[in-house]
Amino acid sequence: MFHVLIISLPYLLKGAVVTVWLSLATISLGTLLGFALGTAGAVGPRPLRAAVTAYVFVLRGVPILVVMFLGYYVFPALGYRVDAYVAVGAAMVVYVGAFVSEIVRGAILAVPSGQIAAARSLGMRRGPMLREIVFPQAFRMAIPPLLNTALTTIKQTSYVSVVGAWELSYAAREVVERTLAAFEIFLGVMVLYFIICYPLSVAARHLERRYAFAS
Amino acid sequence: MDLAPQLVNFVARYVPYLAQGFALTLALAAASVPLSLAWSLAILLPRLSKRHWLAAVAAAYIEVMRNTPLLIQMYLIYFGLPLFNIFLSGFACGVLAITLQHGAFLAEVLRGGVESVSARQWEAARAIGMRNRQAFRLVVLPQAVVKVVPPICNQLIVLVKDTSLVSAIGVMEVTLSAKVIIERTGASYEVFVAVALFYLVMTTALGAGLRVAERRLALRFG
Repeated sequence: MFHVLIISLPYLLKGAVVTVWLSLATISLGTLLGFALGTAGAVGPRPLRAAVTAYVFVLRGVPILVVMFLGYYVFPALGYRVDAYVAVGAAMVVYVGAFVSEIVRGAILAVPSGQIAAARSLGMRRGPMLREIVFPQAFRMAIPPLLNTALTTIKQTSYVSVVGAWELSYAAREVVERTLAAFEIFLGVMVLYFIICYPLSVAARHLERRYAFAS
Repeated sequence: MDLAPQLVNFVARYVPYLAQGFALTLALAAASVPLSLAWSLAILLPRLSKRHWLAAVAAAYIEVMRNTPLLIQMYLIYFGLPLFNIFLSGFACGVLAITLQHGAFLAEVLRGGVESVSARQWEAARAIGMRNRQAFRLVVLPQAVVKVVPPICNQLIVLVKDTSLVSAIGVMEVTLSAKVIIERTGASYEVFVAVALFYLVMTTALGAGLRVAERRLALRFG
């Protein structure tokens, strides 16, 4: 019954490899951007904090698919010819950055004020206090929600196929167009995504529980 | 900077073309939100059941939904169901896929709320002679719902944004309308700025509305 799926599996696996690379690239770059923005949004100067708030507000209110389309059409309009992957990848990084920044900002602000008061009373300056007291505690708290964001991002890489970048979902549609075996192919592709995502979601839940006990 | 009038200008230019898309997106959201909430309650009961196999089936379903993309689920429904002689419109398939996925996420949120209600509340309800079912409906669930209103609001906002994916199965909601406008008229990316603004207004309004509802609920049950 599943022979079309078995024959197409090598092609789909190629797509899965692209999906994994795209996920790794957008998650790592988006997380870097989010850490920078989130830190600025929590402890930066006031205008910077306001800018980060506005950035997060706008991006969180708009679907990622719309941001991808914007990325796809905005580069040519500005006179740049870029690869479809670069355009949608940039859109994803910008989007992921907003969500990560909100997590990081929240985590920094959630460090108990007693910790800051204690550091001050020991005579620590602001820089070392942030580096040695606030950030380590904040980043520890941020890990489980960051893993959840990474999970969401992996699933969202499938949307780049709608804009026109080739990866697992695009490959799946190609195979279905050729073979018409919609049910088994999409079911098989769901299994592939599940295999990619499940370890991460187990890790996220495990850490959530561990840190819940710790605090 | 004359950015603001410029923005208003090109948003206004595309509004007539996008009007139908706006309406369809609102319809998608209006259909999916109540259905997803209802479905989440329907999954919550077996998920919390004392019969292990029933809870396991519900948990497995939730895991599958959590770990696979909505887009593929939507394709599976839209392109897969006709093979079983079930023909649904793109709109119906979109609403169905969104309901199945977001129902699972909402059920997880609700479960977190139910489990955070103290065991003493159960015991107290049982002690004044309530049956398990009554205790759940009258004592535990209202408290759980009040606790999880903020994460549910977040999830509903994600849901509304996810209606944009229905464009992938050919439903002319606002995202697909914008793409078609660009392809047919050679319009520029500004169309998508207008679309983004539309979503921003919609999600912000929804967020504000839900916060009001949250305050009312908290006053009543909190």
